[in-house]
Amino acid sequence: MQAYDDPSIKPHRRYAEKEYLMHGSMKRKSLSKTDPALFFALVTVWLSFAVFIFLPLIRLLLTTFIVDGVFSFTNMKKVLGTGYNIKALYGSLILATAVSITGTFLGYLFALAVTRTNLPKILKALLGAVTILPLISPPFTSSISLTLALGPNGMLLKAFGIGDFSIYGFLGTWISETLTYFPVAFMVITAILNTMSATLDDAALSLGASRWRMFKTITIPLSLPGIGNSVLLLFGASLADFATPLILGGHTFPVLPTEAYLLITGMFDLRGGATLSFLLLVPALLVFFLQRMLLGNKSFVSVTGKNGARTEFAKLPTALTAFIAVICSLLVVFILYLYAIILWGSFVKVWSVNNSFTLDHYIYVFKHGKKAISDTLLIAVLSTVIGSVLAVVIGYVAQRKQFIGKRFFEFSSMLNYALPGTVVGIAYIIAFNQRPILLTGTLSILVAAYVFRYYATGIRSVVASLEQIDPALEEASLSLGASSVHTFTHVTIPLIIPAVLAGMRYLFIHCMTAISATIFLVSVRWTLLTTRILESMTELQFSQASAFSMVLIVIVFIADAVMLYLMKLSTSKFHKSQEISYEKVGA
Amino acid sequence: MKKSALELKEVTKVFQKGREPVRAVDTVNLLVEEGELVTFLGPSGCGKTTTLRMVAGFELPTGGQITIQGEDMTNTPVNKRGIGFVFQNYALFPHMSVYNNVAYGLKSRGEKDDAIRPKVIKALQLVGLQKTENRYPSQLSGGEQQRVALARVIVMEPKLLLMDEPLSNLDAKLRLHMRTEIRKLQKKLGITCLYVTHDQSEALTMADRIVVMNKGKVEQIGTPFEIYSNPQSLFVADFIGHANIVKLEISAIDGETLTARVPGGKSYAAKALKPDKYQKTEVIYQQGKQAALIVRPENIQVVEKSDDTGRFPARVISSIFVGSHIEYELRLENNMEIKASVPYLTGMRVFEEDSEVYALFDSSNSAFLPA
Repeated sequence: MQAYDDPSIKPHRRYAEKEYLMHGSMKRKSLSKTDPALFFALVTVWLSFAVFIFLPLIRLLLTTFIVDGVFSFTNMKKVLGTGYNIKALYGSLILATAVSITGTFLGYLFALAVTRTNLPKILKALLGAVTILPLISPPFTSSISLTLALGPNGMLLKAFGIGDFSIYGFLGTWISETLTYFPVAFMVITAILNTMSATLDDAALSLGASRWRMFKTITIPLSLPGIGNSVLLLFGASLADFATPLILGGHTFPVLPTEAYLLITGMFDLRGGATLSFLLLVPALLVFFLQRMLLGNKSFVSVTGKNGARTEFAKLPTALTAFIAVICSLLVVFILYLYAIILWGSFVKVWSVNNSFTLDHYIYVFKHGKKAISDTLLIAVLSTVIGSVLAVVIGYVAQRKQFIGKRFFEFSSMLNYALPGTVVGIAYIIAFNQRPILLTGTLSILVAAYVFRYYATGIRSVVASLEQIDPALEEASLSLGASSVHTFTHVTIPLIIPAVLAGMRYLFIHCMTAISATIFLVSVRWTLLTTRILESMTELQFSQASAFSMVLIVIVFIADAVMLYLMKLSTSKFHKSQEISYEKVGA
Repeated sequence: MKKSALELKEVTKVFQKGREPVRAVDTVNLLVEEGELVTFLGPSGCGKTTTLRMVAGFELPTGGQITIQGEDMTNTPVNKRGIGFVFQNYALFPHMSVYNNVAYGLKSRGEKDDAIRPKVIKALQLVGLQKTENRYPSQLSGGEQQRVALARVIVMEPKLLLMDEPLSNLDAKLRLHMRTEIRKLQKKLGITCLYVTHDQSEALTMADRIVVMNKGKVEQIGTPFEIYSNPQSLFVADFIGHANIVKLEISAIDGETLTARVPGGKSYAAKALKPDKYQKTEVIYQQGKQAALIVRPENIQVVEKSDDTGRFPARVISSIFVGSHIEYELRLENNMEIKASVPYLTGMRVFEEDSEVYALFDSSNSAFLPA
């Protein structure tokens, strides 16, 4: 017997069930009549999916598998017949594995340091700050600074008197990606470490377990889902990373995204590029599905401020704490050093050759990079606004409504996000390079690429926030005579505003810093700061690249601070904090 | 003739749970008079909340009809029904002040601000919260939030006040206090009220009538007194006030009186009930078959060994002195365990564990039901 008004059943599930039955049992009036708003929303969203998600992907598959009008593996054979491409596939997988392991390990240490040790508050704050830096920096910041430190004429190399060393190749890429992505692991694992009950620690200790035993038998096993999730996220992120291997990979260490890029931009081989990106698509989707299986439909949301009166977690064994403290401090120093190098690098004439102070690079950036700055800002703002509106609609519909094909709807909405940026970029140039939808070189193609990729964070944060909001609030509004539209605008929207802002925040950061998809889509008419940084790097103008990076970081930092302030403002009225941190949003 | 405030006719709700259809509410009929407070009482999953939500319009019934003040409302949307709903967790809008919460319904009705203000103030006065209008829900205690939720609803002067376990989130003491507050307010305003609860003492103390539900069906409808003293089914007997149910073999049937064999003793006679759900002519008791004797703990006396008719030989399993009463757990000869609650009078003998005793049932306050 189904306990229908069993209080243990979450209200939103009841609500969902209710809707299902309404549509299921009500002699099937058409949706356009029963819920015109939902009908309109679904039609609009499905149409946009068709154009900006399915069409590019289908065109990509067709380009890969249809040769002269018939299905064929010719492209695949050709690509796989090249030893260099096999090496790229192998390199991609090895790199992703290595990064997911080291990144998760470092992330775990950081998470333990913050949640389970009594290290000085200052150090903990520093740890937190250092993990934010890579999130707001363009993806190749660490590559640039690693080049400045360990590249040709590298500062560290000189300092230690090492002559014969090359950062280019697997090692450099691995270090750089680990530094870039370990904050994601940190956030995912911190979230799960925080949701554990501290009483479990107390129970273990009171049952006579040593602190080591407690750590091994309680803390580690209970954080396994977070570790698993982190490994998958990092594997996916590394697999898709384009900027780092392009700068640091060099010829000895090819990976799929860079090979696909070089095939297309260097040899104008669209088919080869499409085929390579198909190779990339398979493991990426696999990771996406594994991750969904691991998390189920649970979101990683923990509303902050809920467990006000909980006890402290038990501290870790002293030796482990010491180990964590040493590793974390070293890493913090190293990361701060890398950022300092970029800052310094942007102010010297020629890196390592003529280290005299100059503002030339900034003058250059504001003179010749003005267009890139204004373009980037315009595109990011447009994408953020459009993406947020879509995220609210999609998130609301997915969480509160029941309709046929809902699972596929959710899956589709996340597809571009799950795919590596290179795949999306290549799919977009193939799809929008010809009539009827000719968008190449326009603003719209860049905005579309960003919107349908990065609105995912917005959707997740809206869904997570709605899960926290009892549908009884909306029912209360309806029962007080308000219409469903009035309820949506006066009750639902004000309550999810903090989540929407959180989504906007990450959308904006992504739009400012991403490169992998849009590198294929920029043109003379529309250019981006990130591509300018890349150009400077390939022209070996390290100082110029540093100056561009600094400008970008400062813009993002200011925008981020504004967003955070707005979020704080929007939650100040009611205590129930809706702050949603990055990891829940899937990073 | 007095117009009925609410009528449910054959109201049914079927949920699709996976592939299995589940009848959460099964052909419920109910007539509620103006000004009445009717509670829906039953265990979790009995369909009481679903019934309430169908009256509200949050759920649409799979079958049947819902009439509010003579008007068919079966398929009317919530916001057109003119009902007020009080939620278990209050559902106060966290982003609005107390004043704006209470004014919300009036505003969506399109009333003018200067007309709204006095109404809101009056509603807040009614619940004793006139000074909190500028505060936010998170700054109120649970009891205060509950009262704001009430004010928000009564300010609308709804045709029907629907309450879904409104007190279950409050602590025990406050719950008792709010019970009487709500009842007073409801009587003062003369508002018709449906009240869902799983707490029987809440139902017994507040209701004009109680609807006992189980597994989607109505088990019994009646005044608290009727429900308590005259249960129509084993479920009601057991659910309200913890009755002992003793299964006995029928030895004789004489009109409405039934005589049964006492295990290890002689015989016991009490009146046999014929629940409404049975046809008039249906034979429900048969000689040699079993019947269930319903007797409440307070209607049992525990006495020393003797062997009069109507006494049940028993052994004391536990005896606990609780001041005004002695709570006994007894095991009958057929190994059934029963509870007896005997008022303690000074100088009375308290039996210890393992004593051989007799349980004396009050035959005018016990009855047989079909087993």
